[in-house]
Amino acid sequence: MARARVARRMLRLYAVVLLLYAALAAWWVYFFSTESRWIVEHVRSAGGDLSPEQVAVLAEVTAGNARMFLGESAFLLLLLVGSAWLVLRALRREELVVRQQGNFLSAVTHELRSPVASARLYLESLQLGRVEADKRERYLQHAQEDLQRLSDTIDELLQGRRLLDRGLVVHSEPLDLSELARRGVERLKPMHVPAGATLELDVPQPVPVLADPVAFERILDNLVSNGVKYGGEQPRVRIATRRHGRWGLLSVRDHGKGLAGADRQRIFEPFVRGGDETVRTRPGVGLGLFIVKELAEQQGGAVDVEDGLSGGGTQFTVRFPLQGTAHP
Amino acid sequence: MSGERLVVVEDEAHLAEVVSDNLRLEGWEVTVAGDGPSALALIRKSQPDLVLLDVMLPGLDGFAVCQTLRAEGNDVPILFLTAKSGQGDRLQGLELGGDDYLGKPFDLRELILRVRAILRRTEWMRSPSSAGDVLRLGEASVDFRSHEASIEGRRLQLSSKEVLILRCLAERPGEVVSRTEILDRVWGYDAFPTTRTIDNFIVRLRRLLEPDARNPRYIHTVRGTGYRLTP
Repeated sequence: MARARVARRMLRLYAVVLLLYAALAAWWVYFFSTESRWIVEHVRSAGGDLSPEQVAVLAEVTAGNARMFLGESAFLLLLLVGSAWLVLRALRREELVVRQQGNFLSAVTHELRSPVASARLYLESLQLGRVEADKRERYLQHAQEDLQRLSDTIDELLQGRRLLDRGLVVHSEPLDLSELARRGVERLKPMHVPAGATLELDVPQPVPVLADPVAFERILDNLVSNGVKYGGEQPRVRIATRRHGRWGLLSVRDHGKGLAGADRQRIFEPFVRGGDETVRTRPGVGLGLFIVKELAEQQGGAVDVEDGLSGGGTQFTVRFPLQGTAHP
Repeated sequence: MSGERLVVVEDEAHLAEVVSDNLRLEGWEVTVAGDGPSALALIRKSQPDLVLLDVMLPGLDGFAVCQTLRAEGNDVPILFLTAKSGQGDRLQGLELGGDDYLGKPFDLRELILRVRAILRRTEWMRSPSSAGDVLRLGEASVDFRSHEASIEGRRLQLSSKEVLILRCLAERPGEVVSRTEILDRVWGYDAFPTTRTIDNFIVRLRRLLEPDARNPRYIHTVRGTGYRLTP
């Protein structure tokens, strides 16, 4: 990549400057520390003579100069090394961003092209009469699922883009978090249960909060899909609500392997997906949790993640302001 | 052409289903692998006639699978099927020893045609040559089966592409064989490599087999058209 080449060239240039500077400083120090001897010899060879006191004073003065230069050049060297380190850090960061964007583009390409490819093949097979009668229904069903997946990915991308541009506005209204969760789970079951997932609901009492119903749906969808995606072979996802202080809490927990060393805070950044996209382990484009975080914050709440729970798995908890409590 | 054994390596369940159903309908025997490591194991064990290989795979990506197989000396034909269809990825796939490359989404008929073309090529490569098993050019001889050449008593191994180019020419002795025909029979696709690549192969073959590569006695260039072999 051209940018990486430029960066490497810059680093090499820095190294050359550092080396030159170190050599120059060493020469100066050497020069000043031998200056007095050189002057004494020069005067003697010219036929003059210096008293031992004069030689001592000369030696003291040039040693002082040498010390001064040593101090100053050490300070300058420190500055140079410091700035080189800053440059290096900036380059590393940029490299990370470039890699993340590359990963993102790869993931988006895959997420858009794969369902298009399979839907098209299903339909082409049907159109060309290449499908046995008992499979026709299944082919149509699968093509429809592909289109749904495509549409979900497009929604995710557009919503992520809008959130990045700060263009999405939420309208919070008084709602019961438990009722929202119950309805949400009913809506999500047909999507996940036939694929082998179990959705458990634990909403013992009403939790009156201020929330935007559309934003809530998106939060729940993303967290549940995430739980199903990372929840292992037969994922079991538990959705619960409760009150805690001035907050109403929605928690979504899976029983998978946990974050497996992934950075706790970085999972909420846009386009972050674990590992290298070529070795793909999970579908998705890396916007789901970023969307959850942004929507939670726009409703005056927040999202938190815990893993290493007893029994394994990861739990995401979203806070919503309770009704009738003052929130800044 | 039927009964050949194909391995489809694809982690997207829907694509794997619809692709393998359609290939079975053509009379081929199809097995599916869903990730890199299990694909490697399956290919090593079942020795298929063709592998349809996705690039973005769990565990080990398709390029690495191809590279590993080639490093083990496994020359099973590989058709890359992938969502990454940039020119760079295409070239990478072919350079690593892939035989062809199809970007997703692709046309069903095109997929089948390409699979058929690769299988036909392999069949031609494996079948006995109409020019016999050994090509003699003066002192030099080339064995089409073992890919071994004997030149002035020295033995050396030719690459399969070199052998196939010679075979292409030897099967029609004295006739002009065009560059595009060689590309089609030996490589089987149009955009890569260029006809220039064939010229480079010919230069190397002349250096190996001709007594004087500058004044070829056996492998002649027919300006603007192709090559002619006079054994």
